[in-house]
Amino acid sequence: MKNYIIKRLLLGLMVLFGVILITFFLTRVIPSNPAAQWVGPRATQEQIQQATIELGLDKPIPVQFIKYLKDLLNGNLGYSLRSKQPVLNELKTYLPPTLELIFFSTILAVFIGIPLGVNAAKNKDKALDHFCRFFSIGAVSLPTFWVALFLQLIFYRWLDWLPLGGQLDTRIKMLYEIPKYTGFLFLDSLFSGNWIIIKDVFSHMILPAITIALYPIGLVARMTRSALLEILSEDYIKAARSYGLKERLVLWRYALKNSLGTTVTVLALSIGFTLVNTFLIEAIFSWPGIGSYIATAVVALDYPAIMGVTLFSAFSYILLNLTADIIIALDPRVRV
Amino acid sequence: MNKRKLSFLLVLVLLFSVLGGCGSGNDGENPTTSPQAEMEIAYYAYNSEPILNWDPSVMFSNGIIVLNNIYETLLRFDPDAKEFEYLLAEGYSVSEDGLTWTFNLREGVKFHDGTEMTAEDVKFSIDRTISLGTGASYIWSAVSEIVVIDEYTVEFQLSYPSPLDLVASSPYAAFIMSKDAVENADENWFENANEAGSGAYMLESAAMGDEVIMTAFEDYWKGWEGDHFDKVIIKKVSETSSRRQMIEKGDADITQSLPSEDVEALKVTEGVDIIVKPSFTNLIGFFNTEKEPLDNPKVRQALSYAFPYQDVVDYAVGGYAKQSVGVIPYGHWGHSDDLFQYTKDLDKAKELLLEAGIQEGELSLLLTYMAGDESEKKSAELYKAELSKIGVELEIRAMPWETQWEMAMNEDPDQRQDIFVMYWWPDTSSPYSWLYSLYHTEEEILFNMSYYANEEFDTIIDNAAEISGTDIVKAEEEFIRAQEILIEDSPSIFMYDREEVWAINSTFKGFKYNPSYPLVVFFYDCYRAK
Repeated sequence: MKNYIIKRLLLGLMVLFGVILITFFLTRVIPSNPAAQWVGPRATQEQIQQATIELGLDKPIPVQFIKYLKDLLNGNLGYSLRSKQPVLNELKTYLPPTLELIFFSTILAVFIGIPLGVNAAKNKDKALDHFCRFFSIGAVSLPTFWVALFLQLIFYRWLDWLPLGGQLDTRIKMLYEIPKYTGFLFLDSLFSGNWIIIKDVFSHMILPAITIALYPIGLVARMTRSALLEILSEDYIKAARSYGLKERLVLWRYALKNSLGTTVTVLALSIGFTLVNTFLIEAIFSWPGIGSYIATAVVALDYPAIMGVTLFSAFSYILLNLTADIIIALDPRVRV
Repeated sequence: MNKRKLSFLLVLVLLFSVLGGCGSGNDGENPTTSPQAEMEIAYYAYNSEPILNWDPSVMFSNGIIVLNNIYETLLRFDPDAKEFEYLLAEGYSVSEDGLTWTFNLREGVKFHDGTEMTAEDVKFSIDRTISLGTGASYIWSAVSEIVVIDEYTVEFQLSYPSPLDLVASSPYAAFIMSKDAVENADENWFENANEAGSGAYMLESAAMGDEVIMTAFEDYWKGWEGDHFDKVIIKKVSETSSRRQMIEKGDADITQSLPSEDVEALKVTEGVDIIVKPSFTNLIGFFNTEKEPLDNPKVRQALSYAFPYQDVVDYAVGGYAKQSVGVIPYGHWGHSDDLFQYTKDLDKAKELLLEAGIQEGELSLLLTYMAGDESEKKSAELYKAELSKIGVELEIRAMPWETQWEMAMNEDPDQRQDIFVMYWWPDTSSPYSWLYSLYHTEEEILFNMSYYANEEFDTIIDNAAEISGTDIVKAEEEFIRAQEILIEDSPSIFMYDREEVWAINSTFKGFKYNPSYPLVVFFYDCYRAK
């Protein structure tokens, strides 16, 4: 077990290094002039040349790469070309809103996806199963940006139930002091104990969280259903049934538990996918998270920022995979 | 009921009560009805980050929409009246040789930190901007020394004549800040979103790259008589559909940069007004005049006759533009409707090409534009279609700005593009900003993308710039004369002058767009109709 985890960790580190290597060289290959960007519009040739030296862009690329790695080990991701702020600081600002969004959409995926899958398996080939299939395929295949715009149109423009975007109504932010304990707005609003703030924060979360959750919900429901169907035909389930155990007990305790391995893996991977999905969704919902951040960074070719977010995404993917592997490895039936 | 069931039920109840509480966003306690909320708040939905750099000496970007409400300049230029509004200066005079400018400062102006504005602050601010040397600081390049005469008089000594009144009213790099506040601040003070202005609004809070909240500055020198907004929100709403919906519902008061389809829809929406104003941004296609056969004015004229001006205005910009007359856009001084204007005339174009010895099918050109700009892309495509009719092949290449620019600066003229498409907008409200930056002879290539070099032209505009501080009427005549030369030489296609389309809430009053300050809303002048 220990060896297995160490092996996976080392493998993860190698993947991470590969990602750094590839993204670093890719960003240097694309034709662009970061120095010109650094000094801003209408700069003189002299200013640009000076910036080239300041940013170390006059050195050969391998030298630049080694310097980047060194800085990285010291926790320095470089400076954003646009805002001239350390990328690490910017990530710290933009990360919490995204993590909150992912957290809530994952909860939705678990609490809607799994029951949906279980009930579909229970009612195989009945109306509920068909509905589940229809819903899951729709949820996975509908383009998320379309869903986002559609939800906005219905719930903001027509029904006027939910806000259009953002994380908190600016007017509320102006009226009430929101304490900063954790940097996570939802937690902080809970700590504030102010019902108006909690409600506002929550209502801003609903549409983006649902939009992002659709894909994992569909995936989890489908995977749970198929894994469960397989297990339900096992002999030990027959045995359990023949003992006269309640069907609910058989289904939710014995069968589901044994099918969870697949679901957990799928869920972990879909969280990684969700992270990428936020890149699109956050821009639509004006969500001040890492997705909006990278969207503007890419348009402006802000390399240090793009590298920073890419590294973070790669790191999360690796971590999630590792977690899923470890959880599965904890299953005593799996010999590792 | 077993324990598990009970806990499940409890969670369910909790979840639904929370969901229920939010679903009906309108009932229950509404913050806008509490007494504190009776203040008037203006909401500007902006398509990009409101501000990324808080240093008023350095910022040379979108941030002017924020800083022009927080800071003030000595003067403000009104392009319609061609007059200056006196802000921090009460008056000014210029010596006959145009080398000494004396500004009399307004007394009793308070900065947001409580200190009073004096000549020391003005000297400090401009000296700081010049010495930092970044952003738009070059607008002050004529200044050799700033002298404090007395508490309320400051003198600018120039090394060559320059219209310092226009420079002092620039939207960038001309802000006056509190010396006291900036000197005592630590290195990261501006970086951490702080300000030292004297404007009508103070910074209340800012979320980096997302939103800025400003609040009325009680001691503002103009006072708060009459109707004004108590607070102002400028927020990034990058999705056009979101901006449109916010305006439709009245959640935002003012926005811009909407696609023309949305503008058409909003025109008939109740409670929304559409305002179309000229902007001082124009689109220009620069010919590479150092490369054969574009070094021949006849060929350039032919290519100018082949450009589908009206189609581009109608289809590439949705009608929100006008075909340019000369280089200086409509509404800006130095513009003249009497100048010659090329119109699409393919026969004439063909004829001119033949005169230059170019047969059909012999000429193929490369046009570059900034990747991602839809209007530039559509304009280029429409142009390509017309050119193919007269046997000229046009290759269109979208490039990131820096790459496009680098290609244009290649030492070998043959390695450069043939047509370089780019927008220009003024840094100071002078025709010189176009004519000098774009067409003055350059030893080192910067923005003269036609590589145009004409001594006669240079002399005219240099002289005009020198006298524009003292005799604006004469200067304007000279700038127009210079454009006549340009149009005859035809180093560029003068494509169109863009118009700014604003969508505003009908209750949002007092807004008067001043295109010398691109996309700036001066919120002090605005109020909510009762």
